[in-house]
Amino acid sequence: MESAVRKYVFIGLSILIGILLITRLVQLQVIQEKEFGKESQKNSVKKITETPARGLMFDRNGKVLVDNKPSYTLTITPFQFDKSLIDEIAKLIDEDPEYIRELLSKAKGTNRFNPIKIKRDIDFKLISYIEENKERLKGVNYQVESLRYYPIKFKGSHIFGYNSEITEKQLDEQEGNYYRQGDLVGSTGLERYYESYLRGEKGSRLISVDVNGREVGPYNEGLNDVQALNGSDLLLALDADLQEYAEKLMSNKRGAIIAVDPRNGEILCMVSKPDYDLSIFSGTPDSKSIAKLFNDENKPVFNRVTQTKYPPGSTWKMMMCFAGLGSGKITTTSTISCGGSFQFGNRTFEDHGAYGSINLTRALEVSANVFFYKLSLMIGLDNYYQYGKMFGFGTKTGIDLPHETSGLLPSTAYFNKVYGANKWGQGLLVSLGIGQGELGVSPVQMVSYVGAICMDGTYSQPHFVRKIINSVTKEEKVVQYNQRKIELPQKYFDAVKKGMYLVVNGTGTAKNIRNSEYTIAGKTGTAQNPNGNNHSWFVGYAPYEDPKIAVCVLGENAGWGNQFAAPLAAAIMVRYLSGNNSDIYNENNVVKVND
Amino acid sequence: MKEKFTDKYDLTLLITTILMVSIGIVAIFSATFANSGGTDFYLKQMTFGIIGLVIMAGISFLPPKYFSKFSYASYGFAIILLILVLLFGKTINGNKSWFYIGGFGIQPSEFAKIATVLALANFLNPGEGEKNPNKILDFIKACIFILIPFVLVKLQNDTGTSLVFLSFIIPVFFWAGLSPFILFAILTPIALAVLSFLGSIYFYVGLVVVIVSLYFFKRGILISIFIFVINLAAGYSVHYMYSKLQIHQQNRIMTLFDPTLDPLGSGYNVIQSKVAIGSGGIFGKGFLQGTQTQLRFIPEQWTDFIFCMIGEEFGLIGASVIIILYLIIIVRLINNASASRNKFMSLTCIGFASLFLFHLLINVGMTIGIMPVIGIPLPLVSYGVSSLLSFMVMIGIGMNAYRHRNIYI
Repeated sequence: MESAVRKYVFIGLSILIGILLITRLVQLQVIQEKEFGKESQKNSVKKITETPARGLMFDRNGKVLVDNKPSYTLTITPFQFDKSLIDEIAKLIDEDPEYIRELLSKAKGTNRFNPIKIKRDIDFKLISYIEENKERLKGVNYQVESLRYYPIKFKGSHIFGYNSEITEKQLDEQEGNYYRQGDLVGSTGLERYYESYLRGEKGSRLISVDVNGREVGPYNEGLNDVQALNGSDLLLALDADLQEYAEKLMSNKRGAIIAVDPRNGEILCMVSKPDYDLSIFSGTPDSKSIAKLFNDENKPVFNRVTQTKYPPGSTWKMMMCFAGLGSGKITTTSTISCGGSFQFGNRTFEDHGAYGSINLTRALEVSANVFFYKLSLMIGLDNYYQYGKMFGFGTKTGIDLPHETSGLLPSTAYFNKVYGANKWGQGLLVSLGIGQGELGVSPVQMVSYVGAICMDGTYSQPHFVRKIINSVTKEEKVVQYNQRKIELPQKYFDAVKKGMYLVVNGTGTAKNIRNSEYTIAGKTGTAQNPNGNNHSWFVGYAPYEDPKIAVCVLGENAGWGNQFAAPLAAAIMVRYLSGNNSDIYNENNVVKVND
Repeated sequence: MKEKFTDKYDLTLLITTILMVSIGIVAIFSATFANSGGTDFYLKQMTFGIIGLVIMAGISFLPPKYFSKFSYASYGFAIILLILVLLFGKTINGNKSWFYIGGFGIQPSEFAKIATVLALANFLNPGEGEKNPNKILDFIKACIFILIPFVLVKLQNDTGTSLVFLSFIIPVFFWAGLSPFILFAILTPIALAVLSFLGSIYFYVGLVVVIVSLYFFKRGILISIFIFVINLAAGYSVHYMYSKLQIHQQNRIMTLFDPTLDPLGSGYNVIQSKVAIGSGGIFGKGFLQGTQTQLRFIPEQWTDFIFCMIGEEFGLIGASVIIILYLIIIVRLINNASASRNKFMSLTCIGFASLFLFHLLINVGMTIGIMPVIGIPLPLVSYGVSSLLSFMVMIGIGMNAYRHRNIYI
């Protein structure tokens, strides 16, 4: 084909496309102009977003724990709003005019027809004022939103967590574009962990608007509207009565309690003290209280159950028994001689008594430190690390809360990194043997570890949520959790459990909590702490014969394990086993015995 | 004889480009006027319009051989950038196609368009060893040049821009001498697939046209039957595959053809933009008077939907002027391609002309509801630094082809 022909093919095609486009324009702009003109005058459409209600949370008996209540949110629509009204509005909502200016300037660059949320939870008086002065207060309006409301007698601050307005950073980093300025999003606790279920799906309405921006009714008779879908509800394993009791026991104390059903990992109660009132985050956040909360040196926002890394002290000793047995360094009957102290290099490690030659069961009962100093050197760091991992230390338990710590389980690689290869000695193992030194664990790791011991090696992932219920379809989704078997011979578990039994029911360190009705087994711990008084630990379970509850109690700087932690743990276990009826706790029921 | 000024300088391209960019700045000003924080959009576009003019002028003076010399290098560089943006780029509106440098977003895919056209032109340039698109091996090799950036841009989730890479492949091959019969054999199955989707009647009419054309090509009975069978298969397989799709996938395809089926998604923009343009009438509502534009019913109207604002505020007259200005640019590029004795420059100009034509058809077509909603900009007018600069570079090369049209190498 001649190249001149090709050129005209191209030019012809281009002109044809031009004619096609202009023809269509003529059709739209000349023939159908009236139709579209009318539509543009009267039936301009704008999209209004409908916010769904967040899902609720229920306890194991169906009691509502986290609810919603309707509230009114004051909004300003920039397109119609006259800035000279700012001072008046500020006075009405008792805020600084700068506060409103700031919110308006933050919304710059977005659609000026979108109402900006100014203040949540405004009162009825203000709503009637807005209604009465509607003509004058152009662009000022309100919308219905749901707020969190807690119909409970306890706080549950670290369990439920709070929602807060999405930050600019979160907006930038979100996947997709679901969230907008002013949206609430789960910040901590279950609210955050289950955000994608709890939030629901926003809907939208198309509204016809005239040229002055006035709404004249639904577009296309609402046929194109999308209904907002309310969030899914969470059915928790939490026992509201037990939680209330545990919080009461811990009032004015500093520390943590967590109790689980060791058979499946369901969390029955969880307390971290000091805590805070979730309602300060609901509605218009109470910024003064919040600032105070975040600056508090006792760190009430911090969840001591999942975010702490403390040395476990003597509660670690069961772990050492399994490591010794598993690596073949001892048997259930081998004995180690325990004098009153232990010499390693030029250092002397003290014990609180001399027990002669004893086996591991006896060593657990009396919490003989020398036994574990020696055992630790026998098993070595690599076995120490391997068995620690096996019982869930140094890794996250997978609890359904955000920001869980892995704790710190030292390994050869870790010490090589910190001190340099060959620059550290076996002496570190001596303290590690009694749960001191670099070792760091969290109460949730401890309760899962005790749960695995009492279940003869079945380790269950701790969790709050049993089921997620879709509030639209009512479909129930049973959440699946991990359960794994720690493959060690049954006789190892029997020997260790016997030791824990004797701690409470023999001549052991926690005989002060022996209970006539329920057989409790456990282990005390008193962890030294360079920054103050010792941390008090107790881990245990009950009934000994057929475990139904496992507990870990930590008292920050609270002294001896049997003094602070053990009575609390016993009270929780007895309370739960008695069907939330008995209260055996007595502040004075304290015996001082060294562990 | 004294050389005339217009013999050296392509004033047509220069003036139309300046006009288009200026109209674009005015349109962006209006589209962002009601947007309280958006005033810097038109200022930014103006700044880069001026920078673009300088670059454009500079490019038009360079010796043409530079372009062929560096075509493969710039193609390789563009491919590397497309890979890097996939790894380290920023995601905006769901497309991972941006680098952010000092507050400016840069889209490597916009510049990759130029590099790919240059590389393809260089590959088909006879100076580089006789390549012929009628030979199957050369044809496939040339296609690979285009498929690499196509796939990379598709991976950025930017379907619109990736399709742009397919738009110039046939025109450039055709210009390089692809025989009309092969062109016919490639295009008819695609056309018949689309026709069969629109309805059986269209499909059978298309089939008759194919049979008649085959008779006039007089290519022997076997090959004619072969092509006929392929066409038949293309038509039927579309129906077969469509029936095998899930309902929601079928719906997504249907919305491409009829956006009103999805009034909250892609259809929302099309409904709004048709109302905006339609209500503009012959003379338009006047600058800053467009209710749809000023009420911001169309999101981010200053980018892909800028044509609505022109249609609403300047009416049929304004919209037609824009289309005619584009046709002037396109025809001028085709003329320069035809006039150039340098085959590389000639192929490049055709590639650019096709790019302009494709963008015009898709972008304007989408705002007036005759094309699917594919997010690509209106050349020289839509807001966007990368797109503006890349189209101005294309014009610069087009002007260069005119200036050096009598030079062979």
